[in-house]
Amino acid sequence: MPSAALLRMQIEQALERRFPAALSPAPQALRETAPTGIAEVDKLLEGGLPIGAISEVTGPECSGRTSLALKFLGRRMQVGHVCAWVDVQDALDAESAAANGVCMKQLLWVRCSGERIGQKKDGKPWARLDQALRATDLLLQAGGFAAIVLDMGGMAAEYARRIPLATWFRFRQAAQRTQCSLVVIGQRACAQSSADVVLECKLVRANSDTETVLSGIRYEVRRERARGWGGGELEHGFQRKSESDSSAETPVPACGNLYAFTSRSGAAQKLGYADAEDAPAKTLSFAPRLSDAPESPFCESSPDRRKPPVSTWSAAGAWDREKRA
Amino acid sequence: MSIPLYACVYAAEFPVQTLLRLHPELRSVPVGVLDGKPPQQVVCSINRAARLAGAECGMTKLEAEGIPQLRLSLRSHESEAAAHRVLIECAANFSPRIEDARTGTWPEAACACVLDIAGTERLFGPPQTLAHRLREALHAAGFRASIAIGANFHATRLKAASSTGIALISAGEEAAALAKLPVGALHLEEDDARTFAIWGIRTLGELAALNEVDLVTRMGQRALQYRALARGELPHAFQPIEPKFALEEFCDFETPVDQADSLLFVAARMIDCLVARAAARALSLASLTLRMALEGGRVQESAIRPALPTADRKFLLKLLQLEIAAHPPSAAVVSLALTAQAGQSSKVQLGLFAPQTPEPSRLDVTIARLKAIAGEYRVGSPALEDTHRPGAFRMEGFSAVGASGAAKTDRPRIALRRMRPPLPVRVVLRDEKPAAFRDREKRFEIEAAYGPWKTSGCWWSEESWDAEEWDVLAEVDGATLVCLLVRDCARDQWRLEAMYD
Repeated sequence: MPSAALLRMQIEQALERRFPAALSPAPQALRETAPTGIAEVDKLLEGGLPIGAISEVTGPECSGRTSLALKFLGRRMQVGHVCAWVDVQDALDAESAAANGVCMKQLLWVRCSGERIGQKKDGKPWARLDQALRATDLLLQAGGFAAIVLDMGGMAAEYARRIPLATWFRFRQAAQRTQCSLVVIGQRACAQSSADVVLECKLVRANSDTETVLSGIRYEVRRERARGWGGGELEHGFQRKSESDSSAETPVPACGNLYAFTSRSGAAQKLGYADAEDAPAKTLSFAPRLSDAPESPFCESSPDRRKPPVSTWSAAGAWDREKRA
Repeated sequence: MSIPLYACVYAAEFPVQTLLRLHPELRSVPVGVLDGKPPQQVVCSINRAARLAGAECGMTKLEAEGIPQLRLSLRSHESEAAAHRVLIECAANFSPRIEDARTGTWPEAACACVLDIAGTERLFGPPQTLAHRLREALHAAGFRASIAIGANFHATRLKAASSTGIALISAGEEAAALAKLPVGALHLEEDDARTFAIWGIRTLGELAALNEVDLVTRMGQRALQYRALARGELPHAFQPIEPKFALEEFCDFETPVDQADSLLFVAARMIDCLVARAAARALSLASLTLRMALEGGRVQESAIRPALPTADRKFLLKLLQLEIAAHPPSAAVVSLALTAQAGQSSKVQLGLFAPQTPEPSRLDVTIARLKAIAGEYRVGSPALEDTHRPGAFRMEGFSAVGASGAAKTDRPRIALRRMRPPLPVRVVLRDEKPAAFRDREKRFEIEAAYGPWKTSGCWWSEESWDAEEWDVLAEVDGATLVCLLVRDCARDQWRLEAMYD
């Protein structure tokens, strides 16, 4: 079996005329960031969400993902940027957006309908997802949008995981070219190696002092991945150790950004382009422990390098409740 | 007082010229236009190739069909009216004073107008240069016309109708210039034409040489007018029209068209004409209205409004293509009309430190594509309604032009994720507060409920609402959810309206 490096060289030579250095990532300068408008999260991210990259905001429902994304858009719009919201489940609340500082005239809202002529409704979100991905692709290719939010927050994680890696790779390239921050809201991380930042949100506390006004809601944000931070090159180190046992598959030694792994029977199952850290967690049984991982800037802010950095932030209650109370 | 100077534009065989203007590929093919109602249709206009093939005006349809390779088309008065407007507009670039010379005894199949060009020498040069430039402009607009320039209105009319190129009539030499024209050029009444034939008067020169008194004695006062016309001396009070600047193009199809590609092929040429006409006035197209007459008498209309006025024909054609793809005609198209609104050419002042925004023309195409994907009314900017109804909004068109920046907000606000449509739930009450609720699949235990928040409005209309809102902390499968439960007081129904996220 040819080595990964040899394969990469052969593929790049074959595509050289149309795509020079197709599988070699372009050297990156210092990554720019844009503040989210939430001080705690900005501190955690050392500035904010990256510009020209994919950021994933994950977590279960009611974990503050939408509030965070809306606040980020509101912050971007303060200086006159235009943004887009691709809504898979048609769940965006315009009043919430306005309360978080989003200027309606600067927001392009794509409400996926999931209706197709001649197709029966089967309750599955494939049509919506297809529409959302095509819309995101168009918006990224058009350029000029400072931030695009792909909202898959209401969709089960197993559907989002079916999005091909090639799609995320294309989105990453387009976002990088147009300097657009693509924020993906989902229940689980699905962009794999293409995401520069993965945040996991969680509802911590929602107790109220009064009987009528819901307030005191706090969210916890955990930084699961932060790549390309200030280093000038892509980080290839492993961020975390797999929590699940993945003895079912034995990886083939990877080289560079190509990885291949085979099942125990030895048959090749998958060959993709990704950083080694981007392989699904369960396949990284060979990953070194964090103590063995190369020095990585994103870990510097965390006193305990075995745990990803965590921060908590609080959101004010519903905009009309306090007023009416 | 300056010497009057007129230029007459005469476009012969106007019905066939109208057709060839929209189908230039037919110029080398024998083409005839049929007029009248079946079965009494006759050929009213032919091109040169058809004349060489043996066709003549006045032939019946049956006779014309006997000529090999002759393509016959039905006359369209709407197309002719649109083409006439274009011709007048083209002439208006050389003089604002134009008189429509189609009226009177002129043959119906010709189009003519007379321009008052006195005093235009400093703008366009001597009359001959103006005539050449006018003819070139008409040629570019798709017309083949003859032009005559002279000091007498009627003399230029008569000369232009009988010549094929450019004719200049010097002042005082009108009679000589018209001398060789047949008497029939005056479009005489039948009795008068017969009288002149009996007298042996065949040309205008012979008519002009007759004694005025003798002529009036024998034929009456109208003979005086004939003689003045033949001598190029009949005075005329110029009645200028005010050409209305309307960007309209019309095309009547021979057979109904049901393919979008065929429609776009014709529409591309029409857009070319509209853009060229607007550009002649330093304008762009701000909007484009497409009107398709369908088989069965129905009419389908749609409009394209770019974010900024544009003169980019490829861009407009792309928008038109996406519009037709999004709203395909429900039946075959019989005729196509394009109407454009002119606007000032787009100028966008870019700032060195201004944030990057989408390019307007590219954004229009992107939004049209997004509408084709998600639906017509599902792409745009949300706008809050001026009402207390929860979750009320409307969709507006999105435009990146003039983005000014949002207001600054300090604290993040908890956001709602609405369920569209809301999920009906069954609620268990305890002490008049929700204690648990269930949908079709799961049961949610409520830890805490905050409310009720009563809201109602529009009691005077059918859109009235009366509801109680409860913010609840619910637990299901070990996870905590913050939900917005709503009780419709009018129907006593509960629904899960949104989740705080």
